[in-house]
Amino acid sequence: MRYISIIGFLILAACSNESDPAADKASFTRIYDNNKFNATYYPIDIKQTPDGGYLILGGRKLNNSNFSGIYLLKVDELGGFVTEIEVTDELVAPVGPLLIANDSYYFFCMTNVGLQTQLIKLDADGNVDGQFNVAGNYPAAAAQDGNNFLLLSYDNQDKESVVSVVTPSGSVNSSKSFSIGAGDAVEEPIINHYLRTGRQLPFLVGRLPGGNFYFNGFYNYTLSLAFTNLVADEPQGIVQGQQDDGGLSQVVPLDGGKFAVARFNYGDNYFLPSATLNATGISSSTDLGGNAMPELIPNASVKIVRTTNNARKVVLYASTTRSKQIALVGYDETTGALVGSKYLGFSNPFEVASLAPTTDGGLVVCGTTYVAGRFARICIFKLSAKELTAAF
Amino acid sequence: MKIILTLILAVLISATGFSQFKRKSNNLLPKPKPTQQNKFLEKQWWLGFKAGTNFAQAKPIKSYTVMVPTNYAAELNVKSYDSFLKTGSQATLEATFYFKGFSFSLQPTYRHTRFTYFNQFRWYNAENSAETLELRYDQEQKLDYADFPFFIKYDILRNKLRPYVQVGIVYSMLINANKAVSITGTDYASGGTNQFANETIIVGAKDLFENYWGLVAGVGLDYNLGNVRVVLEGSYLKGMSNISHTKNRFSNDRLAGIGDAQDDLKLNNIVISAGVLFPMRFLSSNFKTLDR
Repeated sequence: MRYISIIGFLILAACSNESDPAADKASFTRIYDNNKFNATYYPIDIKQTPDGGYLILGGRKLNNSNFSGIYLLKVDELGGFVTEIEVTDELVAPVGPLLIANDSYYFFCMTNVGLQTQLIKLDADGNVDGQFNVAGNYPAAAAQDGNNFLLLSYDNQDKESVVSVVTPSGSVNSSKSFSIGAGDAVEEPIINHYLRTGRQLPFLVGRLPGGNFYFNGFYNYTLSLAFTNLVADEPQGIVQGQQDDGGLSQVVPLDGGKFAVARFNYGDNYFLPSATLNATGISSSTDLGGNAMPELIPNASVKIVRTTNNARKVVLYASTTRSKQIALVGYDETTGALVGSKYLGFSNPFEVASLAPTTDGGLVVCGTTYVAGRFARICIFKLSAKELTAAF
Repeated sequence: MKIILTLILAVLISATGFSQFKRKSNNLLPKPKPTQQNKFLEKQWWLGFKAGTNFAQAKPIKSYTVMVPTNYAAELNVKSYDSFLKTGSQATLEATFYFKGFSFSLQPTYRHTRFTYFNQFRWYNAENSAETLELRYDQEQKLDYADFPFFIKYDILRNKLRPYVQVGIVYSMLINANKAVSITGTDYASGGTNQFANETIIVGAKDLFENYWGLVAGVGLDYNLGNVRVVLEGSYLKGMSNISHTKNRFSNDRLAGIGDAQDDLKLNNIVISAGVLFPMRFLSSNFKTLDR
């Protein structure tokens, strides 16, 4: 009888379901709230830091500038608040993603007065650790290129899209400019993008593995994906859009010369998980076809990451739905077949900003939510590897 | 307050029992000879049914939140739980084996229990007091459990009126759970003072909770009424393990979207029941077991 009692208590103890720190790290939802009525924050990019926490680059509303200010948020591995930095309003228009070189984090922005491009160096806690002048102004997009950075910027003097290779010290190794076309009509959506009074345009820059560079920006009156070797005056290949009403909203090179692409056309959205792009000639984005995504908001911003889920390479698309949820749609990278979808957020509106795989095999999704339906705040969804496997 | 009332009830039951003891002390002393009938009465099986009400208290083990303040104290948003405020109900089948004053009892129970908490948020402009919004989230949890308790009871007196004490252990299996969230607020920023109430959000929340176990102690009073035993008892069920599902606390998008995350909780209950028990063993057809 005594043994039966002991076994009974052990069984009950095993069922005790006490707090689980591992589960707390693996999966959580956080909204970072500021109780200032007129404060507005939005995220641009999120990176997991070596301590397991997360560093978020964001923007904030400034009362003394038409441009957005810079906001940095560091949270711990549980999503708990660590520190926030409202960077001086002399620096504006932050551009993601957060770039990494020599264990430091970098991002581009510009000065509020001179519109001079700046490269800002951060430590893993988000503290500003350096600031470098970079040639040019109006930074539009950035990407990692080994230990250097790629920068797409807009030269408002010569009305040119400029692609540059920038070192972590802010020096420009190489650069090439491409005319957007004459006239104010072409420039108007670009300026509205910077002022955030108009649509946020899908500016992109990147490099094909070991090959040419590409940028998604204005070229010859049209928002186009252009391939360049940064030597020739003309792009080697162009995927043309429809002025600013159509084009590519995201491009990620895959293996075998394929691309994971998202495109938009007069409000409609299409996902192409295994597309072939003409990098050496002229083509049109409308000819690419793709999977129609009518649940997304018109001309939706789309983020794409490559992940490995349960030993399968999965391309994850993230975007914002008409019902103001964050949609994750997964495709098999090899076959392009749909493998699943997951929707994040409810009740309050949610918009996607960035997503990144995490060291525990999970995924972190960063976005904007409107607390009480009105206050723009940064939110994080951390999904565990188990949740990803179940969804994709 | 509910604990105090329960203790008062326990004292009254005990006092009633002892008053019986005083009036009918000759029933116990001297002890009757162990006749065949008395030997027979040393053992008895009882089957019966009880029902009643319960009051719940959720005690946070560890608090979780979706809303993380960046420029104000987290205590301003902290959840405030009620304590033994909401009434629930339960129905119990009782099978008890009595032996020489002690009883060993299995009492499978269906228990519906409720508890609530609320938290508040405030956004304001220090330079313009009109730019203020206050929100209050009231959350009610409704949980249904199948309880499997095992009690050891001791009859303090063995008269027609039999006060007893009992202790036990219980394993509670979750059957169903729901959450209802009502959001009310005051908006000072839209041109006046506008008090509003949003439509209540009701969601299934079974994934947020888990089975748990607990310890029980209580007092009761049996009254032999003919061949039936009438029971009134009160127990305190102390939850010993977390009732929350630790892996699912953020899994409900509707709740996470409005900033709610499930805390780790222990659930305590005050359970008051009344019912009837029937003896299963009879010496003869006209034997009145309850009329000794």
